[in-house]
Amino acid sequence: MLRSPPRVGAGLTRRTLLTSALALPFALRAGAVGPASEVDIAEIQLSRGTISRPEAWTRLLFELLQSTSVEAEPRVVQLAPDDPALFRHPFAVLAGNDALTPLTEAASQQLVRYLSYGGFLFIDDTTGERQSDFDTSVRAMVRKLFPTRALTTLPTDHSVYRAFFLISEPVGRVALHRTLEGVAQGSMHPLLYSRDDLSGALDRRADGSDALPCTPNGELQRREAVKLAINLLMYGLTSNYKQDQAHVEQLIREGRLE
Amino acid sequence: MMDWLLGGCCGPGGRLVFTTEPWIIGVATLGVLVALILAAIPRPRGRARIAEVAFLTAAAGVLLGAVAGPVWIQEGDRVEAGRYVALVDASRSMQVLEGDGTPRSDQVAARLAALPPGTEVFAFGDGLRPGVPITYDAGDTDLGGALAAVAQRYAGEKLEGVAVLSDGIDRGGLRRRVLGEADAVLPRLNGPLTVYQIGEDGGRTDVSVTDVRAGGFAFLRAPFAIEVDVRAVGTSARSVPVTLTRDGQPVGQKTVALDAEGRGTARFEVTPEAVGRFIYEAATPVTAGDAVPANNALSLAVRVVRDRVRVLQVCGSPSFDQKFLRLFLKEDPAVDLVSFFILRTDRDMGAGWDSSELSLIQFPYEKLFSSELWSFDLVIFQNFDYRPYFDNNANELLGNIARYVKENGKAFVMMGGDRSFDLGAYAGTPIADILPVQLGVSGEAIDPGAFAPRLTEGGARHPITQLVGEPTENTRAWAGLSQLDGLNLSRGASQGAAVLLEHPTLKGPDDKPLPVLAVGEYGAGRSMALLGDSSWRWSFAEAGEGRGNQAYLRFWKNAARWLIGDPEDQPVVVEANRDNYQIGEEVRITTKVRNVSFAPVAEAKVDITVDGPGGREKLEGRTGADGSVALTLPASDRGAHRVKVVAHGASGATVGEAQTAFAVTTRDPELEEVEPDSAFLRTLAARTGGQYVAAGERAAPLRDPDAGRRVRDRAETRLYAAPLVPLLFGLFLSISWWIRRRAGYR
Repeated sequence: MLRSPPRVGAGLTRRTLLTSALALPFALRAGAVGPASEVDIAEIQLSRGTISRPEAWTRLLFELLQSTSVEAEPRVVQLAPDDPALFRHPFAVLAGNDALTPLTEAASQQLVRYLSYGGFLFIDDTTGERQSDFDTSVRAMVRKLFPTRALTTLPTDHSVYRAFFLISEPVGRVALHRTLEGVAQGSMHPLLYSRDDLSGALDRRADGSDALPCTPNGELQRREAVKLAINLLMYGLTSNYKQDQAHVEQLIREGRLE
Repeated sequence: MMDWLLGGCCGPGGRLVFTTEPWIIGVATLGVLVALILAAIPRPRGRARIAEVAFLTAAAGVLLGAVAGPVWIQEGDRVEAGRYVALVDASRSMQVLEGDGTPRSDQVAARLAALPPGTEVFAFGDGLRPGVPITYDAGDTDLGGALAAVAQRYAGEKLEGVAVLSDGIDRGGLRRRVLGEADAVLPRLNGPLTVYQIGEDGGRTDVSVTDVRAGGFAFLRAPFAIEVDVRAVGTSARSVPVTLTRDGQPVGQKTVALDAEGRGTARFEVTPEAVGRFIYEAATPVTAGDAVPANNALSLAVRVVRDRVRVLQVCGSPSFDQKFLRLFLKEDPAVDLVSFFILRTDRDMGAGWDSSELSLIQFPYEKLFSSELWSFDLVIFQNFDYRPYFDNNANELLGNIARYVKENGKAFVMMGGDRSFDLGAYAGTPIADILPVQLGVSGEAIDPGAFAPRLTEGGARHPITQLVGEPTENTRAWAGLSQLDGLNLSRGASQGAAVLLEHPTLKGPDDKPLPVLAVGEYGAGRSMALLGDSSWRWSFAEAGEGRGNQAYLRFWKNAARWLIGDPEDQPVVVEANRDNYQIGEEVRITTKVRNVSFAPVAEAKVDITVDGPGGREKLEGRTGADGSVALTLPASDRGAHRVKVVAHGASGATVGEAQTAFAVTTRDPELEEVEPDSAFLRTLAARTGGQYVAAGERAAPLRDPDAGRRVRDRAETRLYAAPLVPLLFGLFLSISWWIRRRAGYR
């Protein structure tokens, strides 16, 4: 079982300091009654196949603070899938670039319980390729977790595309697949999957600069990736709120939805 | 003289019967013989002696004769004059008004006066009772049964005649047989029948509501249909106006088109806005000349229940606490959830996003907290600060919420966070008046320390905090739940509020533990304060421990039920066992009394007042050990009945009040027909060889001159008790004694 202490903005650099300074007013402006209840991210780590991109997720939390009313703690916690502490962090991510170590039975059971009782998992294929061993192993893992429910491509009117921004095409560092897939549970999708390396678009180097270029559309694409990442977090918090009748009617009235 | 001496008449043709048992006579005879022998043997013989014994023997013979119990029996027949019998219809159809505005029963007295003197009068309806009817309120008309009862009562007697005074609206089967079956067996009559029709033919109008239907119950805020059947007779009108009211308040009016038979149906669509039992009454106007004004209206009790609780969740900032509450509310099929989450505030405007990129809508706070507010059962402020949106008209909109709770009986919840309670600046606003905690904390308004909330004594009994049924297990269940992450501070519980969960260490100005969960009743409504934003731990962390999320779900389900005033969650609950009754059925009213902690109150005095069309009726009882008492009363009057219960505890203090309603909806078949059935009466008379007399006609009743009854007489003269017996016995004994004395014996 891998476990490491919570990491907040690993690597103190000029860029990190700058980013942190920009975010400071938002971080200080408010907070939950207890900081432990503030929104943070758990990064699931397996012994093989996963990668850790704390800077990507920390950036996402700062972007969330800057752009939305959500009170977040820029905190990324790395946990193994069978770590009971996972249930202190209802939003989790799993990013990888190689075939994943198969889940143990205990890890599978915990992940199923996690997703059944309100947890949210975003899986990110960081290879940026059309086919990858990671993708194959993710599909095998999902089949093990949900034998009767397959990963399916989300419809374009899915709530995740309206959770905060209106998103017409989900992209990451690359724009090969331009879709999200998910596993449904009731009216929710507690597990979403991107194959366009979303965390790659968010990741930063130690000096605060973007770690990887976005292709083919550069910074415009990165902007869209950031919007998608914020939507993912918002969807993890508000679920299908955007499907509520009042919102749909209002957006239609304003001509922002077809 | 002789009859006197013998104790009665001992005429010819009679027979003598000894009534004493033979063995008694034998024993008495033996005794007398022995006595005579003993009296005669010791004395010398002589003529005097013979005479003395002879008279003594005669006296003994008289005594023996009396002991034998002789009775002289004379039997024979005689014929008495025939009797005349009248049957008067006492059913409610006799109340129908005639053209002159008087009930048709007023014609009965004149008809009875024309019958032979000494006529024996019976009232019939659903039975036969001797005497002239005092009231005409029998719920049935069974003329065949009445005639059969008379035949049985006067069996073997030729009556001088039988008169029937009726409007002919028979419902016991005789009318059907007489009019529909040529070979029907009709009642055997003991004398010639004269049928007097009561009530004039024709010229009568009547409009009636014959039925009201609503399908039993209705759902709150869901339209349902009430159908009203009407019938009009004796009128050329092709339509009739029908008015529907609920508890006396108008609901709507329709004009019903009538078919060729004068029947029609009005359909009202009603949307109930409150839960409970309501009395709907459909009525048609009573016009001059309406034969039966009482059937122009009909009531029906409709029970309105919630199919779904309508909840407004307003959240100032998406959070895990908001996420899990929404998941609960959204997945509960009994909840109709409308959520508004503030996703961006003015402080987030500088992030560089164009508004066209955003999937955000305006927060319609004015509409929500004014015109739309009343459609919700429960409003939840979850970490919501009103000031960025309606600081200018805060008093008006927040005042609406306070009125919504106090006056409309709705519910409000405030949940903690950095924008709630004092941090949301609610102190001094109308909201503070409906919060179960006191605001106005100086200094830090939050304590971020994790803690395990403690179940209070009140919380151990309150329905909101019942995670499991057994009290010890419930306390253990709360103690085993995950810790909360921090607390919104307060100045303690408001007056009259109940603290269900408290902080284990932090205390307020009154030195009492600070509330974590508190509830209160404000006017007709209720509110709850949960002073933290980490109740989601009770769901997710518990699931992580393998215990599922039942504690969280149960807590919020309990809270929702209590907050919306589920009838079962009131201190005093009254319920009739049905909504609608037929006349004569038993209405069973059950009252449950519980104290503020929802413990059953035994020996509580329960005063019940039932207001109905027939006036006010009062019932009284005391609750048993389970805090409930059931009282009954008969459903005797057609129409709406409102039940009010006041429960008093042992000290006499009022525990609470409750109300319900029921309706007695019997359609009165006696009033379905208003025209006299002259065809039936005429045919009945014809087929029984009788005489039919139409209303207003004058005709003497048929009488049988040979009528009479043979009476069998039997006269018994008890000779053993005749005065002659003691006279003869005394005479013979005296002569015997005199002879004895003359002969010188002693």
